[in-house]
Amino acid sequence: MTGPRQKLLWALAAALTLALPWLISDRYIQHLLVMSLIFVIFASSWNLLTGYAGQLNLGHAAFFGIGAYTSALLALKLGVPPWIGLFLGGFLAAGSGFVLGIPSLRLSGPYLAITTIGFAEILRLVAMNWVSLTRGSLGLYGVPPLPGFFGIQFTTELTFYYVALAGAALALFCFRRLTRSEFGLSLQAMREDEQGAESIGVSTNRFKLTVFTVSAFFGGFSGALLAHYQRLISPDLLSLHETFQALTMTIIGGLGTLTGPVIGAVLLTFLSEGLRFVEDVVKIDVRLIIYGALLVVTILFMRGGIVGLWERLRAGRGQDTEER
Amino acid sequence: MESLFLQQVVNGLIVGSVYSLIAVGLTMIFGVMRISNFAHGDFSMLGAYVAVFILAWLPGWLGWVGSLLAAAAGVGLLGILIERGLFRPLLTRWTDLDQIMVSIGLFILLENLAQLFFGATPRMLPDPFGEATLNLGLFSTSVMRLLCFILALVIIILLQIYLNRARMGVAIQATAQNRKAAQLMGININRVYSLTFALGSALAGLGGVLYGTLFAIYPTMGAMPTLKAFVVTILGGMGNIRGAIFSGFILGVAETLGGSYISMEYKHAIGFIIIILVLLIIPHGLFGRSEE
Repeated sequence: MTGPRQKLLWALAAALTLALPWLISDRYIQHLLVMSLIFVIFASSWNLLTGYAGQLNLGHAAFFGIGAYTSALLALKLGVPPWIGLFLGGFLAAGSGFVLGIPSLRLSGPYLAITTIGFAEILRLVAMNWVSLTRGSLGLYGVPPLPGFFGIQFTTELTFYYVALAGAALALFCFRRLTRSEFGLSLQAMREDEQGAESIGVSTNRFKLTVFTVSAFFGGFSGALLAHYQRLISPDLLSLHETFQALTMTIIGGLGTLTGPVIGAVLLTFLSEGLRFVEDVVKIDVRLIIYGALLVVTILFMRGGIVGLWERLRAGRGQDTEER
Repeated sequence: MESLFLQQVVNGLIVGSVYSLIAVGLTMIFGVMRISNFAHGDFSMLGAYVAVFILAWLPGWLGWVGSLLAAAAGVGLLGILIERGLFRPLLTRWTDLDQIMVSIGLFILLENLAQLFFGATPRMLPDPFGEATLNLGLFSTSVMRLLCFILALVIIILLQIYLNRARMGVAIQATAQNRKAAQLMGININRVYSLTFALGSALAGLGGVLYGTLFAIYPTMGAMPTLKAFVVTILGGMGNIRGAIFSGFILGVAETLGGSYISMEYKHAIGFIIIILVLLIIPHGLFGRSEE
């Protein structure tokens, strides 16, 4: 897997990723790159819990919102430096992920899905109605940017790109370590057959709680990043649609793979902007229709998403046609 | 105070009757096919729009009767198509995850197609009684809402009769109890699936028309009945039809009482709080028997 050619390719990809915002001077494209990276973290963290551990979490937006609101409020009300806020937002999300994980140990499938949706919806209602703290549906604006250092300001798309990139690299590094370890194998065993995994000594409860916590941490972290980048947050961050965004990106990219949500997040961020231009021409909101259609088509005909398709193509032409 | 309480209970029962109707469809489909259809509320949305268009074209009584029939038939037919096209292909690799995600894709698709075709402006169904109200001393209700309640009850009772008396109705119940045994008894399982999905969808469509008499109709409204129906279904034990009927009323009353005595803003959180507590304490729901 890691031949010299592979290594060279990886080095090239890394160099390209680092140089990208310098190659593209268009600020709008740079903005899309930043948004892609934030969604890479958000979608990947959802994927860890649902794709790797098989726990259907439809309330991931809760962590996104907790991170964003925590960091923004700490900075606005208490003057906590946003660099610390990013992590505090993540930690509070992680804490709530742990708490949410406890009842979820006994639940699966639709039960877990509804419990997690309920968790996010309750928090969304709190963000909507606790007006004295959150300004309700108006949202919080004027969230401070990340303070600069060494003369670098993090208020432009170009500089923020590197912050988001570092965040995404950290998240993916953690997820890779987790999923490639013995822990990761146990996770997959648990996803495929929970009772079977338990019978060979996998402590599923401990695993689920760990994954819930780590996944929630990065969900919150990505939300906090978004808060200090957009500098405007609203209760919409906690809505079901935000979770569906992560879900669609991950499924189209490839559920339960490391690269899947990365590809999905970048692809859909750019696709949805591309479609926005189409909308200006035809005056029809086609973005989400295409999202929905892509989601359905991927599950029915292209299992494993883009990553799955790529692997099947590489494995040889004869096997790429499924039974159906 | 006494009469406010009673008034809220009556309001809750009316809303609850619609929750029950929509949730019964969802729980039936789950009971028979193990499908959790997150697009269920969008079927209600479509049913409501059927009524909007038919009533705009044909006002009066005929329009209302036509709306109910067309919503049931139209959404039921759509249900058959969706079951054939989306859910049946997944039967061979049936995992919760695949199936739920297809329904989420469908949810996003239907919601936004509706936005495209119907426009985002909220609509209301006209009141055939000219907003007449019925005052019964301790409480009052508009005649339209009362009729909505009665219609929901009648449909639920008719469904019960069908499930208990008709041949296919019994086949549906048998399949829900034990798929394999039902198959061995010579029940054509694919026909049962089609019929169940059609019936469940038709109930969502009918529920949508009634929902439209109580609330505004707009393309993204489907999320609400979907979530309410899931709350009701879990409360009653998934797959348990009678449980869903009672739980619908319980949720309706809990919401209106909670809305008026605790907090209007958190009205929609009440259902979720109840199910989180129920799942923690009695995981099989209020009326559930443990599976297996």
